[in-house]
Amino acid sequence: MDIKTEVLIIGGGATGTGIARDLSLRAIPCVLVEKGDLASGASGRNHGLLHSGARYAVSDPEAARECISENRILRRIAGHCIEETGGLFISLSEDSPQFRERFLMACEEAGIPTALYSRDQALELEPELNPDLLSAVKVPDGAINPFELVRANAKDAERHGAKLLFHTGITSLLIDQNQVRGGLALDLLSGEDYKIEASFVVNATGAWVNQVLKLAGLRIDMALSKGSMLITNQRLNQRVINRCRPASDGDIVVPNETVSILGTTSVRSEEVEDFEVTPPEVSLLLTEASRMIPAIRGARLIRAYAGIRPLFQSGGTGGDRQISRSFALIDHGERDGLKNLMTITGGKLITYRLMAERTSDLICRKMGVDVSCSTHLKPLPVVAESLRPKDRLQKIAPGGEVLCDCELVRREELEEILETMQFRDIRDILHRTRLAKGTCQGGFCVYRLLGLLHESGLVKESPNKVLKAFLEERWKGIRPILWGGALKEEELIESIYKGIFNLKDSVEFGVGSSE
Amino acid sequence: MHFDLIVIGMGLSGLMAAKTASESGSKVLILGKGMGALCLFSNTIDLLETLPKGMKLDEGLSQWIKDHPQHPYSKVGAKIVEEALTSFTSLFPLPYSFVSAGDGNSLLPTGAGTLRPTYLIPTTMVAGASVREQGGLIVGFKGFKDFYPDYAATLLGCRSLTLPPFRTFHEEITAAGLARSMEKESFREEIGREIRREMGNETRVGFPAVLGVRDPWGVKKGLEETIGAEVFEIPILPPSIPGMRIFNRFKEWLVQRGVTVLLGHSVSKAILRGRRCEGIRVSNPPLSSFYSADRYILSTGRFVGGGLVANEEKIYEPIFDLPVSQPRSREEWFRKSFFSNLSHPVHQAGILTDSSLRPVDDKGERVLENVWIAGSILAGHDSTNEKSREGVEIATGYMAAKCAMKK
Ligand SMILES: Cc1cc2nc3c(=O)[nH]c(=O)nc-3n(C[C@H](O)[C@H](O)[C@H](O)COP(=O)(O)OP(=O)(O)OC[C@H]3O[C@@H](n4cnc5c(N)ncnc54)[C@H](O)[C@@H]3O)c2cc1C
Repeated sequence: MDIKTEVLIIGGGATGTGIARDLSLRAIPCVLVEKGDLASGASGRNHGLLHSGARYAVSDPEAARECISENRILRRIAGHCIEETGGLFISLSEDSPQFRERFLMACEEAGIPTALYSRDQALELEPELNPDLLSAVKVPDGAINPFELVRANAKDAERHGAKLLFHTGITSLLIDQNQVRGGLALDLLSGEDYKIEASFVVNATGAWVNQVLKLAGLRIDMALSKGSMLITNQRLNQRVINRCRPASDGDIVVPNETVSILGTTSVRSEEVEDFEVTPPEVSLLLTEASRMIPAIRGARLIRAYAGIRPLFQSGGTGGDRQISRSFALIDHGERDGLKNLMTITGGKLITYRLMAERTSDLICRKMGVDVSCSTHLKPLPVVAESLRPKDRLQKIAPGGEVLCDCELVRREELEEILETMQFRDIRDILHRTRLAKGTCQGGFCVYRLLGLLHESGLVKESPNKVLKAFLEERWKGIRPILWGGALKEEELIESIYKGIFNLKDSVEFGVGSSE
Repeated sequence: MHFDLIVIGMGLSGLMAAKTASESGSKVLILGKGMGALCLFSNTIDLLETLPKGMKLDEGLSQWIKDHPQHPYSKVGAKIVEEALTSFTSLFPLPYSFVSAGDGNSLLPTGAGTLRPTYLIPTTMVAGASVREQGGLIVGFKGFKDFYPDYAATLLGCRSLTLPPFRTFHEEITAAGLARSMEKESFREEIGREIRREMGNETRVGFPAVLGVRDPWGVKKGLEETIGAEVFEIPILPPSIPGMRIFNRFKEWLVQRGVTVLLGHSVSKAILRGRRCEGIRVSNPPLSSFYSADRYILSTGRFVGGGLVANEEKIYEPIFDLPVSQPRSREEWFRKSFFSNLSHPVHQAGILTDSSLRPVDDKGERVLENVWIAGSILAGHDSTNEKSREGVEIATGYMAAKCAMKK
């Protein structure tokens, strides 16, 4: 089933889906391939902060200006993915007062509105803040749901004619003379491979950009920086809380629906896929974040996770926190003499739209067409039903089955989703519901999900194989936070799967295996 | 009030200890926060996974003891383990009793369609042991989210049947709710008719383990009459109805024997003088009371039960602040892979004891003279991975009481 199109986009994160939407709104045919599910790269593993730009105001004014401008646009076009919480940059006794003055000035220069609050005013707004704080600066930070954002872009792109292929990787590039002509795609679930011919190829693979460029014998200078985050099982703050000091580790707490997310760290990484949150990172995050919100010390953590920041290095030295958060659009025709291939990387989640606009503009120039961008004007579609717990509670009919008790996910809700999607992998459904996102992280409900999938004839292999793979993946997020209440619950969960169900690493008693 | 013995913790080990002590004529108080892991995980009596079919119990145990000198079984000894098991089974006379299928473990089907080795099984589960060879019909209930008959049946090579929702249920269907309904004859007849209609040439029918709490054998017989085939139970997710049966039987027996049983009471503090415990403060909000005894048995379980508590740095024992043997740092508690074939080191953590089950420090010095330790809080075993949970609880509960009541 070879495919012909105008633009082949590699990567289904915010950037790739943003480009697919932008191009299709301009009526330019495109095909997007993503080797995992939607947002399985950094777009699904970040802090979910709708930056106001304030964090970068002092050190990286260009990124700051991009952020505030995109922040305003996203509030307009993606309101349903955003909670307009506002943010505070708090100064503690050890933070320099001079920095705060520079910070206020830099925000003003970047066009970021601020207001200065006294200690008492700040504590009134956020009672859990460290009472030793000196002052707080209010900025228009917010919380953004990255999955909703990416899904909304994908949906709008498809609606306008783009074709999106998931669980499909690009394994080589079709190169003819000095020009790229498409790529070879591999369906990772079925093993089928086919050609995608295209006039242009966009490499929007974030931290993987060099793996794709390698297919053409090229590379660019990237710094891969792992960042780790921790999730608490309650929401401790109403606004985004930042530390008013040069950007550092553990100095942001983002509220997200019913939880708070503490982050981040910055550790240079060579690995793009196989990385973990280490115990020293957990300790660092807790120590730093509890300086801002002391209640974090006693809070029940539900998960640790990490992502890899794709940072583009345009030369210069210094730590990874100093590398610009601005993005890079590279025309490999100009840079390397390989025409019609471009790479777009770096940047932030919230600058994805601008990155997509610039990329699409470049393609239009090359195609000689003159249609301008409209993504900043047209609102994104709403994809999911409301995920707020209050709304969920109302939907539970008497006698109804709540499969996920932590997040109140009903059986009917899952059945509806299964009807509207083409089910290929358990992760597809986990990305589309709140199931397994709560305190037990799926410890109880994933068995139930498998029961339902099995009933519907959707599990092709042994359900226990899928179950074990899920538990192993879940473990990566759980293991770093196992003490207190979390450890207690984990003892129960391990006893269920290894004890009552007797699931094991390799040996499994069941039909088809020998005892 | 003063007792000969106070047992702290009402899981299987505490119940066994209270039973054993009261049989020796002592005045016993047993108290606990809840019903312990018993009502979560215990469906059958596990002894050891490595007790192959056909191997004699004492033979298998002796080998294990030789290889694992620090294991609780090694403190108890094979002979007393057997004695303890006999004492346990004596509480459950036929028809609802615990039996072993000849020597060694039986393989019983589970809610995940796997087979699981276990030693003593309730008579309501016996017919499940041959389900893989003989086939059967696995039955579940639409709307009951903790059992999926199709999932289990496919893996076990059986057929499945999901019964439609019944009028009886206005709320969410739970294991406890199903167990209550099962005790009603009208309900059994209603589902029995439905099953009979769907029966092929199967000679046995498997249900999730919810065949009533009070009279499971009667429920089984009742179902068998309407269906016309042999019925068995399959262990499922917690809570465990078979575990509740064990708990209820112990409680009834203990109360009858004059043991003071206080459920929903937790010990807030032990009062120590030197190496002796002089009493315990017990809270049962809004009340707080004081009890004392000559001897004490600590059987508060592990993390789920609250016998052990872990903070960011270490694992501790909250009532007596006993030394807890544990890995050097939190980093070593768990292995990188969940299904590692080596068990997670944290499971071996617990209270070290001497051969009489009295607590000792890391140098082997006894730390308390009138306190004995029983159950899963003991160091040096991993009940989930060894499949030794109930065996260790029964054996050490029995042994702790024997040692405590000596002289
Ligand atoms: C710890 C951390 C915290 C962050 N916090 C924030 C924040 O709070 N706010 C914010 O705005 N930004 C934040 N960011 C930055 C933001 O997450 C990223 O900049 C953004 O998500 C990058 O999106 P992307 O689409 O370019 O890359 P990705 O989302 O990584 O997408 C690339 C995709 O390409 C796919 N791919 C790779 N190779 C192939 C192939 N050969 N074939 C097919 N597909 C392929 C991958 O599977 C992946 O899905 C954070 C980043 C990290 C790591």
